[in-house]
Amino acid sequence: MSYIEIRGLSKRFGSNIVLDNVDMDIEKGDVIALIGPSGTGKSTLLRCLNLLERPESGTVTIEGRRYDLTTRNSKEINELRSHTEMVFQQFNLFRQRTALANVMEGLTVVKGMDEKTARETALYHLRKVGMEDRLFHYPKHLSGGQQQRVAIARALAMNPLLLLMDEPTSALDPELVGEVLQTVRSAAQDVADGTAKDIFEHPDNERLRRFLININMLETGEYAT
Amino acid sequence: MANLFDFKLVFTEIPAILHYLPATIWLTLAALLIGLVLGLIIALIRINNIPVLKQLSIAFVSVIRGTPIIVQLYISYFGIPIALKYINYYNGTDYDVNAIPGIVFAMAALGLNQAAFDSETIRSAIQSVDRGQIDAARSLGMTGFQVLKRVILPQAGAVALLPLGNSVISLIKGTSLAFTCSVVEITAAGKILAGRNYRYFEVYCSLAIIYWVITFMLERLIKWLETKVTVPDEAPEMDEYGNLHIRKGKKEKVIPAASLGITPAASAPDKGDMA
Repeated sequence: MSYIEIRGLSKRFGSNIVLDNVDMDIEKGDVIALIGPSGTGKSTLLRCLNLLERPESGTVTIEGRRYDLTTRNSKEINELRSHTEMVFQQFNLFRQRTALANVMEGLTVVKGMDEKTARETALYHLRKVGMEDRLFHYPKHLSGGQQQRVAIARALAMNPLLLLMDEPTSALDPELVGEVLQTVRSAAQDVADGTAKDIFEHPDNERLRRFLININMLETGEYAT
Repeated sequence: MANLFDFKLVFTEIPAILHYLPATIWLTLAALLIGLVLGLIIALIRINNIPVLKQLSIAFVSVIRGTPIIVQLYISYFGIPIALKYINYYNGTDYDVNAIPGIVFAMAALGLNQAAFDSETIRSAIQSVDRGQIDAARSLGMTGFQVLKRVILPQAGAVALLPLGNSVISLIKGTSLAFTCSVVEITAAGKILAGRNYRYFEVYCSLAIIYWVITFMLERLIKWLETKVTVPDEAPEMDEYGNLHIRKGKKEKVIPAASLGITPAASAPDKGDMA
């Protein structure tokens, strides 16, 4: 049995069937990239996994605990969400809060940590993403890349089992993509041996795309020499 | 012609009028509170599309906004006693209409009026909050109430502050109509005072001064609240001692390093850990 198992995930918007009975197995430490043209349901798949979208059917099993994705039980929903964290295309930092407060928010409000522990945890993760000299900056004082690094720190501080990244660099200028990818890579490395795992979706990453195209080419044998 | 306008009287009447200021203040505070709470509830009902309650809310807002406040005050003043009499008649109860002071009718009418207008302000402010931040909060695992309290309301509050300020300012002046419910607030007190010496014009000038001063102070309060809820334009800076400097316009606030809760070791970048 896999570490995380997704079974029979279906989601439709009106008559448009976006996800049709998707099954997926994820092993501990896997980094999975979903690529495909826009509108094929990459984001929808991620958003269904932490129930930002409510699918028609599907279950996910995390470490042997099975969750029905159609549940309306808020306790179950919050438990599932506590295992998953998401990094968004538009960063979605809390605008009224500083970088430090953004990372502390989930720790104090959701995990019930006291201020001091939360601040230390937040500092640790902000330092990991190289944002320790911007602790009291508000999102509007930060560049896109810096905002996304704070967002990654916010997600990792919650110590998720599954990190969902929805096009984390596609809203960034090309010269800022590098710093975020660097952060993603070190995050993936960090969590590979620890608790977290990553799925990240990323059609705009040239290097990644080339990598996957190469694999395809080798498989079909067209360009294999 | 000497006695046509008694300039001195405009100011000497003020203390006597101010004696009734508490009535004006209480009316305003009560209506403000009812307006904000009920307005928020109505806004949430409409945003979350709760059946039946939504239709009732739409009807309520439409009726209140479509009728003059003075008519609402009369309806409250005469309608509630009639309703009570019916209740007493059908339930055999014995509620005493005369035991209810007039100010309660005025508070109810003004509060409901505020609620109708505030609900629309609050609704549009809540809808202006970026969906992405709500998604982020939910994916962190916050409950619906936590998202409302920690993400939606702080931002919606900042958006709604100025229009709500407008509405409080007009509410304060709206309280001058409470005389219809036999409440003696400052305008009513002024009229009573003037009735003794027929110096109506002077009293109206005094009232104008009082209302303007109250509104002026309120404007300062709103301005102060505005600076509280806006994110400073310039990024905060940390000096070499670890003190944080936050600049808002011309003002600068310094937060000493000690109260930031960050130990010097933690604030000093550990370069080895970065990459």
